[in-house]
Amino acid sequence: MSKRTLDGNAIGGLLLELFGADLTAAPCACDGCGAREEVARLDVYADCPGVVVRCRHCGDVLITIVRGRTRTYVDLRGTRGLEL
Amino acid sequence: MRTLELEAAGWSEHRAGQHLDVRLTAEDGYQAQRSYSIASAPGEPPAITVERLEDGEVSPYLVDEVRDGDAFEVRGPIGGYFVWDADEAGPVLLVGGGSGIVPLMAMARHRVRAGSEAPMRLLYSSRTWNDVIYRDELESLDAVEVVHTLTRERPPGWNGYGRRIDDDLLREVAFAPTDGARVYVCGSTRFVDAAADGLVRLGYDPSSVRTERFGATG
Amino acid sequence: MNIVSRGFRGRRQDGPPDRVPPGQYLTDDFPVLSAGPTPHVSLDEWTFTIQAFGAEPVRWTWEEFSALPSEEVTRDIHCVTKWSKLDTVWQGVAVDTLLEAVEHDAEYAVAFCDGGYTTNLPLEDLTGGKAWVAYGYDGEPLEPEHGGPARLLVPHLYFWKSAKWVRGLDLRDAEEPGFWEQNGYHPRGDPWLEQRYWGD
Repeated sequence: MSKRTLDGNAIGGLLLELFGADLTAAPCACDGCGAREEVARLDVYADCPGVVVRCRHCGDVLITIVRGRTRTYVDLRGTRGLEL
Repeated sequence: MRTLELEAAGWSEHRAGQHLDVRLTAEDGYQAQRSYSIASAPGEPPAITVERLEDGEVSPYLVDEVRDGDAFEVRGPIGGYFVWDADEAGPVLLVGGGSGIVPLMAMARHRVRAGSEAPMRLLYSSRTWNDVIYRDELESLDAVEVVHTLTRERPPGWNGYGRRIDDDLLREVAFAPTDGARVYVCGSTRFVDAAADGLVRLGYDPSSVRTERFGATG
Repeated sequence: MNIVSRGFRGRRQDGPPDRVPPGQYLTDDFPVLSAGPTPHVSLDEWTFTIQAFGAEPVRWTWEEFSALPSEEVTRDIHCVTKWSKLDTVWQGVAVDTLLEAVEHDAEYAVAFCDGGYTTNLPLEDLTGGKAWVAYGYDGEPLEPEHGGPARLLVPHLYFWKSAKWVRGLDLRDAEEPGFWEQNGYHPRGDPWLEQRYWGD
């Protein structure tokens, strides 16, 4: 685990802005391996041209977020859902 | 280190452990953003403690440059997972490494301010005695049992712990896993992962160990 | 309306406009950007493969790859996160050299990498002396956090196209968006046209 890897706490503000709710305690299931963890416990890579959230168990990408000029692109395909 | 007290319009009362995001905008529109844990207790105005990182972009500005009356944008309070409320009665173990002490300090201050009776213990790892943040306040905190470990250098006469947190240290300091304690671990990714793994090996249920990894970007 | 913070400048520097594309800032550092953990692969296991549709894959081991003609190139690089670094020095094999070993009529390629990252490029952007598979940076072997053992180097496009930990190229007839291109980033990524996002 790199020292640069953060967790879902680090994107709490971003998610609050995008979804209008605090999602750090929201359970999220990995579509790859089924593991279910709160967003705060997921591996977050924020030092890149976007935010990449990975499953802590299998490493699959759960969520990517890219802030464009006027739009933000959110890809949740790697999750089986977020429980708000 | 510098603690900045903020006056934020429309600020809703924060919970202990939450953070806020700071956004700085330069005159030409360039922006930089960072997250800082709130150091103050719920009910007090938000305060952040910033560690100055030598080649940081934001922390040198906040530590060296900011004066009374200066303004920047903040977003928050943020966080629903790494939070402790004083109405929770069970024992609390706080484990902090370096600047990871900040949100844990908010929890300790909250416990005192709210008059909670929950047993609270803090295990705090720093490089040297000079690096210990809130040092004097921690000395005077009766309500919280504070255990320091100094990993790089110890002052003469030091008879406390002098090494990185390991399983033995945790076994000696942590509440017994059967005591029903909730644990909050905060610090660098490496620190947090090592401490959390150690607690689980000790018998703690992973769901009772809450973690927050700090980055090193300044 | 943003609040301007008195006295805040940030770390960036301005540079000569003919070398710094619009919206970019100069940096002396070499920031590490990653979408995932740094993969580690032993050189015994490392291979580079070019796969053309319907053809046998062409593959080089590390030993074979290192024996290919290589060159040192000095180029400016531009990251979509707005930093630019001038005069970076790389050592690597020109993609033109690699493509000589393959018969194909593909127009597009997808670079694939350890860790699962992909990025897509038209062949036009990979040929004519514009791209390399680089294994040396600044006179030293390329470090893992910067993409070592080898990364793609396509300096005329935004640096997300210079895929780290590259293991090969998949040649195709049709454009197929890679990791960032599927998530809002521009299919081509020309910094001089500021092609950062979809619709730019």
